[in-house]
Amino acid sequence: MPNASSTLAAPSRASTASPRGSRRTRRLVAALALVVGALAVALFPSMAPNAYVLSAGVVVLSYACTATSWNFMGGFTGYISLGHAAYFGLGAYGTGIIVRDLGLPSFVAWALAGVVVAIITVPVGIAALRVRGASFVIVSISFVLILLLVFQGWGSFTGGSNGLVVPRPFPDLMRPEHHRVFFYLFAALLAVMLLLWWAIDRSRFGIGLKAIREDEDKAEALGIPTRNYKLVAYVVSATLTGLAGGMYALWFGDLDPIFQFSILLGSYMVLMALLGGIRNLLGPLVGAVIVGVALEVFKLELGDTQLHLVATGLLLGLVVLFMPDGIIPAVQAGLRRLGPQSSSIREMTAGELAERNAAAGVSGDSVFSDAPASHPGGPTTAPEEER
Amino acid sequence: MSGSLLLQSLILGVLLGGLYALLAAGLTLYFGVMRVVMIAHSAFLILAAYLAWYASSELGVDPLLTLVVTVPLFFGIGVLMQRLLIRRLRPATLTMMSVLLTFAIALFIEGLIGFVWGGTQRRIQLPYSSSSLEIFGARIAVVKLIAFGLAAVSLLALYVLMKHTRFGQALRATIQHPEAAQLVGIKTDRVAGLGFGLGLATAALGGTALSLDATIYPSLHWHWIGPLMAIIVVGGLGSIPGAAIAALVLGVGQSLLQVPLGTTWAQTIFYIALFVTLMVRPQGFFGGRLAQRF
Amino acid sequence: MTETAGTNLTVRGLTKVFGGVRAVDGADVTFHDGKINALIGPNGSGKTTFFNCVTGMIKPDAGTVTFRGREITGRPPHVIAHAGIGRSFQLCRVFPRMTVLDNVLVAIRRTRLRDLLAPARTEEEVAKARELLVRVGIDHLEDTEARDLSYGQQKLLELAGVLMGDPDTIMLDEPAGGVNPSLIGRIGSLVKELNAEGTTFLVVEHNMDLVMSLSHHVVVFDRGRPIAEGTPDIVQSDPRVLEAYLGV
Repeated sequence: MPNASSTLAAPSRASTASPRGSRRTRRLVAALALVVGALAVALFPSMAPNAYVLSAGVVVLSYACTATSWNFMGGFTGYISLGHAAYFGLGAYGTGIIVRDLGLPSFVAWALAGVVVAIITVPVGIAALRVRGASFVIVSISFVLILLLVFQGWGSFTGGSNGLVVPRPFPDLMRPEHHRVFFYLFAALLAVMLLLWWAIDRSRFGIGLKAIREDEDKAEALGIPTRNYKLVAYVVSATLTGLAGGMYALWFGDLDPIFQFSILLGSYMVLMALLGGIRNLLGPLVGAVIVGVALEVFKLELGDTQLHLVATGLLLGLVVLFMPDGIIPAVQAGLRRLGPQSSSIREMTAGELAERNAAAGVSGDSVFSDAPASHPGGPTTAPEEER
Repeated sequence: MSGSLLLQSLILGVLLGGLYALLAAGLTLYFGVMRVVMIAHSAFLILAAYLAWYASSELGVDPLLTLVVTVPLFFGIGVLMQRLLIRRLRPATLTMMSVLLTFAIALFIEGLIGFVWGGTQRRIQLPYSSSSLEIFGARIAVVKLIAFGLAAVSLLALYVLMKHTRFGQALRATIQHPEAAQLVGIKTDRVAGLGFGLGLATAALGGTALSLDATIYPSLHWHWIGPLMAIIVVGGLGSIPGAAIAALVLGVGQSLLQVPLGTTWAQTIFYIALFVTLMVRPQGFFGGRLAQRF
Repeated sequence: MTETAGTNLTVRGLTKVFGGVRAVDGADVTFHDGKINALIGPNGSGKTTFFNCVTGMIKPDAGTVTFRGREITGRPPHVIAHAGIGRSFQLCRVFPRMTVLDNVLVAIRRTRLRDLLAPARTEEEVAKARELLVRVGIDHLEDTEARDLSYGQQKLLELAGVLMGDPDTIMLDEPAGGVNPSLIGRIGSLVKELNAEGTTFLVVEHNMDLVMSLSHHVVVFDRGRPIAEGTPDIVQSDPRVLEAYLGV
């Protein structure tokens, strides 16, 4: 019996060459971006004109951290959590409370708070991941809202609406130095997160997560233990977010439930990741820089009115409507169009198609055309109709 | 808890539950026709409340009269929103994108409200604000009764609309099975738009009812969307009667808990119910076929 | 052939009720090891529900499913996949935004904890995946995103993905659905080839030509349970089968 593959014509040289070529260009661009980025981070504190700009830089880096940590869940599994600030707040308050009540050194408390967040996230994740799509979003929002309630109401433990003061880890530092140290600390945290993201991206775990994102039921049918995979991704994402929150607590020193368990902060995370590109390593970082800088500019120009809510809402809406895949993929697509073209299946001419069919021993017209089929896919695909 | 206090809490719970039921019905409508989780629903609710307050305090108009303007206005906005925004989203990622989009709209509205009317808390003062009636021995504020009345009438009207009109039939068909509805000639796109408008109209009604008795401020909508979303998940996504039942049960529960625990902690009942639902019956307790892994 | 080797996939008393409708009603079926088994029946006979119960997509209300002596009733789909049963979907499902190669690489057998962060694209795995792509005939599309493939190509891709997990039993849900005749032929020969290499097949199908030419053993479903079974010839001439299809 002839092998099925022998009936097909060999692929043209051009179509195999360019995907590899463009892969090399992409790697080059990524490496370049990394070097430039690392330099920018290293030199920024010395180039910043004053302490205020430096502190704005710290804020942007903290945004980059939370957006990247959010992306471990949103980007890999496609589960969108709008209440991720819950973990930011838990990490922040956790660090502050541990320092206050257990008297541990700041960074030990920070690490311990991370562990606490991880432990709390397990039962939360088990419950939340029993649903998908819209229900999951609802649950994530509910979680941050209930934490807001609890932290506001439990004044004796958390300081309630009066806030919680977190002692600085380096009390002798002047403000500019303080900002400088934390700038590098956040940068280090971000680097660790990016490394972990990259490691997961190319691993079996990562490909399994991406399969869950594309079609969860199919992934399960192929042998992927979807419940466990999702839970691990969720706990990792939450813990990293908690660590970012703890770092913030140590830097900023003053916590208030309204600002830490804030839906707005959660929406910033999503906006940044979405804007930059949620399937890309550096997407959240790019988004964080753009949105973070824009926010600082808004604050300077518009003062602290409610207009920044209007602006955020507008920006998020525009991104969702017109650039749902984010900036990085849009740029990549643009670069691809400039480079050597690989032949897409849709561009095959009728002549080539007839040739191929002839080689396969098939008569000219087939009942169904070889037009590309669109497929819904995604974590929200409804189960098949029951017969 | 004493008998009369218990009775009062119960009655208040029912009144509250009625309002929740109306709003949850609206929230279910968006989900039913377009599988959209409309996070901005409560933002519009608060907007309607602000409009009612503005009419009452600046223009001297009875807040209930604002319904004449707000209901058709919100209905129109709802239709426009579906036509111009929701329809643009790609079907593959509709759920996630619609959540983000409506979230953006909610932020936008909150910012707008804060910008126009400032962040201070507002409250309508009516000549009958402080009067109350005695019902079975419990003192109930008149404004709460009016709010409930408004909600009840609206729910009844919604019921009649859904069950006994051609449009209602088309709406129910579109919710249950859009493809089949199209096959029998229903213009599901138009129906979806009108369904959206209907949902937003309930926000107008609910907001006006709310304004009679509540202190409002721009970020209040977050205190409503959480419970409302919990209600529709507990009731079963996509089922209006399910949402209404869950609303009543949880409204009464919240009211009963308010006496021993206080307002803040009583609100946690919604989230606890949500957690229980997720663990025991993720598709909801009173829901219909739509409540499947959304 | 020993007794135990002959009983590969056995179903006893499987029942699934959907709000009053008994989609599967106490079905007793034994599938023949090493053969191509077909499951046919008119629309609404419960074939797909039966299929989904066996593969773990739905939890049955009653009954047992045994595979190689192990009970797999109601276990989650990934456990069933690891037990050695692969399946395709009625409406062909692939991972749209992943490349063809990645689509195949996803399928895994048991991954130990320390393998989790191991790279997904090892030489060994990639070579095996490429081999499978060559076998089904879409190797030239390796780097194309799955959503850019034609429906027929996606069907082949789905099959390659299933094969990656080295299943010894493969369940196909309407493999001939929505594809042109030449592709049906290619799928049919692939199934025959794989079966000759030892894979047991269970095919739900409506295309009678394919069923009759391919299968060794046919089970006919009607109203939630099997009403006839045997070789294609026997089943074709069974009056009960004609009755079920023609609704007499």
